[in-house]
Amino acid sequence: MSGANFLFWVYALAAGGSAIAVVLTQNVVRMAFWLIVSLGSTAGLFFLLGADFVGAAQLLVYVGGTLVLLIFGVMLTASGPFINMKTNPGELVLAGVVGCALLGVILSTTGAVAWDALPSSQHQQKLGFNPPEDGSTLRPLGMSFIGLRPDKDLDRKGTSGQLSTGYLLPFEIVSVHLLVVLVGAAYLARAKRRQGS
Amino acid sequence: MEGVGLTEYLVVAGILFVSGVVCMATKRNAIGVLMGVELVLNGANVNFVAFSRYTKLGLDGQVISLFVIVLAAAEAAVALAIALNFYNNHLTIDVDRGDELKG
Amino acid sequence: MDPQTYQSTGEMLRNLLTLAWLLPLAGFVLEVFAGYWSHRLSRAAAYSAVFCIAAGFVCSFAALMYWGHQTHWSALESHASPADHHDVLKYFSGTYYTLAEFGKLRIAIDYHIDSLTLVMFTMVTLIATMIHIFAIGYMSDELTEHYEDHQVHTAHGHFHRPGRFYMFFAYLSLFSFSMLGLVLAGNVFQVFVFWELVGVCSYFLIGFYFERKSASTAANKAFIMNRVGDFGFLIGLMILWTWFGTFQFNERVESDANGRDVVMPGLFDMLRDDHGNVTVLPANDHDSYARVFLADPGHSGALKHEGHKEGKTMPYFLLVVAGLGIFAGCVGKSAQFPLQTWLPDAMEGPTPVSALVHSATMVAAGVYLAGRFYPMFLPEVLLTIAYVGCITLFMAATIAVVATDIKRVLAYSTISQLGYMMLGIGVGGWTAGLFHLITHAFFKSLMFLCSGSVIHGCHHEQEMPKMGGLIRKMPITAYTMLVGVIAICGLAIPGISIFGIKIAFSGYHSKDAIIATAMTFSQLNGSHFLLFVVPLLGAGITAFYMFRLWFYTFIGQPRDHHVYDHAHESPVVMWAPLIVLSFFAAFVAFKGEAGSLFKLLLDTEPASVAHGLHDVGLAGDLNFPSHVGIEENHKAAGLYALLVAVMGTTLAYLFYGARVLNPAEVKRQFAGVHNFLVEKWQFDILYDAAFVRPVHVIAKWFVAFDRNVLDGFLHATARTAVSIATLDRRFDETVVDGLVNLVGNVTYDAGRSLRYVQTGRLRQYVMFIVLGVVGIWIVMRLFAA
Repeated sequence: MSGANFLFWVYALAAGGSAIAVVLTQNVVRMAFWLIVSLGSTAGLFFLLGADFVGAAQLLVYVGGTLVLLIFGVMLTASGPFINMKTNPGELVLAGVVGCALLGVILSTTGAVAWDALPSSQHQQKLGFNPPEDGSTLRPLGMSFIGLRPDKDLDRKGTSGQLSTGYLLPFEIVSVHLLVVLVGAAYLARAKRRQGS
Repeated sequence: MEGVGLTEYLVVAGILFVSGVVCMATKRNAIGVLMGVELVLNGANVNFVAFSRYTKLGLDGQVISLFVIVLAAAEAAVALAIALNFYNNHLTIDVDRGDELKG
Repeated sequence: MDPQTYQSTGEMLRNLLTLAWLLPLAGFVLEVFAGYWSHRLSRAAAYSAVFCIAAGFVCSFAALMYWGHQTHWSALESHASPADHHDVLKYFSGTYYTLAEFGKLRIAIDYHIDSLTLVMFTMVTLIATMIHIFAIGYMSDELTEHYEDHQVHTAHGHFHRPGRFYMFFAYLSLFSFSMLGLVLAGNVFQVFVFWELVGVCSYFLIGFYFERKSASTAANKAFIMNRVGDFGFLIGLMILWTWFGTFQFNERVESDANGRDVVMPGLFDMLRDDHGNVTVLPANDHDSYARVFLADPGHSGALKHEGHKEGKTMPYFLLVVAGLGIFAGCVGKSAQFPLQTWLPDAMEGPTPVSALVHSATMVAAGVYLAGRFYPMFLPEVLLTIAYVGCITLFMAATIAVVATDIKRVLAYSTISQLGYMMLGIGVGGWTAGLFHLITHAFFKSLMFLCSGSVIHGCHHEQEMPKMGGLIRKMPITAYTMLVGVIAICGLAIPGISIFGIKIAFSGYHSKDAIIATAMTFSQLNGSHFLLFVVPLLGAGITAFYMFRLWFYTFIGQPRDHHVYDHAHESPVVMWAPLIVLSFFAAFVAFKGEAGSLFKLLLDTEPASVAHGLHDVGLAGDLNFPSHVGIEENHKAAGLYALLVAVMGTTLAYLFYGARVLNPAEVKRQFAGVHNFLVEKWQFDILYDAAFVRPVHVIAKWFVAFDRNVLDGFLHATARTAVSIATLDRRFDETVVDGLVNLVGNVTYDAGRSLRYVQTGRLRQYVMFIVLGVVGIWIVMRLFAA
């Protein structure tokens, strides 16, 4: 068992286990904690998959941003001590059963595909454009934004000058979208002064 | 044990996905539901990156997962705003109380 | 007379007569709206009517005087042959307005002015003026808001209505206008138009008390009987229009496109040459019937040169038919046999109407037309006219003997006298017939007004047996009536003459002229002796019934004291016209055939009359008397007529004046004859059986046909339509509506049932999604296998 494999199992168990813990925990703050663990472990998995920029973004945005936001939400909507928001055990059981069924569906579907037979999996490793030892996908990602695809175009031997589509414009749209959403969220969540009080 | 392949990642992603769905289905707290959504999105992200690594998809998978992360952040912001408004109106965060539009 | 004077004189006459003609129309327009600008108690409408017609009389009389002055009264000078002088104004004709032109065919509003027109205008306007004035008094009981009609009975007693004083005068004015237009008309189509107009006025006036059943029936009867005659009139018009292509009486000068004067011949010019002779082409190998030569339009002078004959011909019999057709119109209008029954019933109208419309003017229009149209009548037609007049005068005179209603006696007398006129025209006494027309108009309107005065004085009592001795109550009426009676009877003092003038009233002269003509005619045509005997007999009967009327009414002891006690002389507005008319009735024919009236009429006499005609007609055996021939018989005829009239008068005096003879015994002895006469020679019964009943029967058949067949068919169609509609409705309600409702209900029910799925619970939705995904997977797996 190589180190990478070991790390995979560690991260996989951490991600899956803490995700299940999120489901089972009733306390919101603890749920948030387990979610941090799960998301962090997922970031580890990204690193293992050689997507170091995505993993970093995962840690920064999710763990650093979104979850902090969630925790703020938990604090802002703190309920009184006598409010019971516990789920019915019956519902819980039912949801578990249905969840297991769904898991079965997904796993059986996943297992039914012969992934190794896909032609591209070996091909990419040979090219070595994304070698783990380089540890950086930042440059290729940036190039893909402007349409240069070292993982795809270079082996075409200049058969055509046609490049892949760049992601720059979607990226910009997403950026503006994010900004708009944040502004809108701030507007929605602003403290309203109740009339008459 | 053989080397870790695509299947294992997909299994992990599936577990994350199902956990998120069950979380959405069982939590009465709106924040909990939101957390379930985050889990679902994460499962999907794992899939994208795994396919990016192991299939012809290449960097497209990573780019899309990046977008998903960003959109999830936006979604969380909006959802929290909605939850806050809901709380302001109902003085609770219980999603079972928000059933005015029932048939 | 030079052309300029001719033209200016003619235009002057035309302007005067047009004014006289149109004034009553203006009056009518004014009066018919009197209900708006005046009120029912006002006499304003009557005054305007009187003014219009009196102004018309002034214009007419001025025209007559002017005409006489311009012609230096040449018409009055003694002359044997009026055709000899062409240089005087014989007639003046022209066109007011052309209504339509179809190539050479042309319809226009024309005028034709000659001495006959002038005399008729003066007579009509004078009599109409007197009658208008009389009517102011006679109709005064209409000057009320609540006129009580004693002859109409309703469930609540007598019928009440607002008075119609102004409407009466409006009708009178309209009638005057129509009558004058008829006289002035320059073509026969225009005559027909005004013919119908006077007919409709007569209809209105007979039916003036239209609430009375008898009055409305009488109005209808008059109108329908006239339609029968007018049908013949129309046939005649169509034949003339077809063959002559014009309706104009006399020639008309017209400028053609080159500015030259073209003479367009009238009816008379086409048929007759300058001597009034008709060219008859007898039947030969080419023609199976005889033909009449017509001068071609544009070649009016063709006939003037003998031997030079250009033009066309028409069948002889068709011209006879045309003449008979026109005469049929005259028969209807003048109440001649066999269409005479309407005139006695027309006495339902107010008495001034009877005086104006149904004795003096409108009924005389038939005679006037017969006279005006004389040149178009072929000898056969003239003979028919003579016989129709002969039958009529005898029949009406006999009926008048037994009539007891004072107005009906006068009505039958009118028919009888109209028969005389027709007879006079028919036997070739053109001037005699029209002479009698004028004199008769005066004395008959006088007598009608007298009877109106009596009726007014006796409070609408018309039965002579209830009168008697009224001379003591209403002397003016009685003596003026006596003037009229003497005039109509033709009494005179024979042998004595003052300054060469016979002492006789107008009727003597005119009837004398007719009988003289008839006598000459029967001498010339031996087989037609009845045409002399019957009118002579008729003169005696006339004298008898007229004096019977007078004695019955005015002499002797009162037979009904209730009527007698309340009788009174009429007011001055009523007896003043009587005086005026009695003067004219007595002296209008002053000096007889040497007098001015006769000479005036003689001036218009058609060219062929004066010299008589010999061996004419298709058979060639008819002779018409000449003036010279008549003159020879005049003295004898006058004596015969006077003798017969005196006999009649004496008989009447013995029966009703001196009461030596008892009329009741005679009545008993001749009960059959009496009944026959009372029943008016059974004509009403005959017409009832011959026409009215068959029409009713046929109408009943048609009603039955309509009810059973047509209505049945219609009802069946309607029922079918209704049943189809019912079926259609059921189909709509069940199938179409059912389908639509089904769709709606299903949608609604589905919505209602699906409503419960929408719980509004977030977590449940998530469960549904998951279950859905699992379910789809299961299904896919099942089917993939």
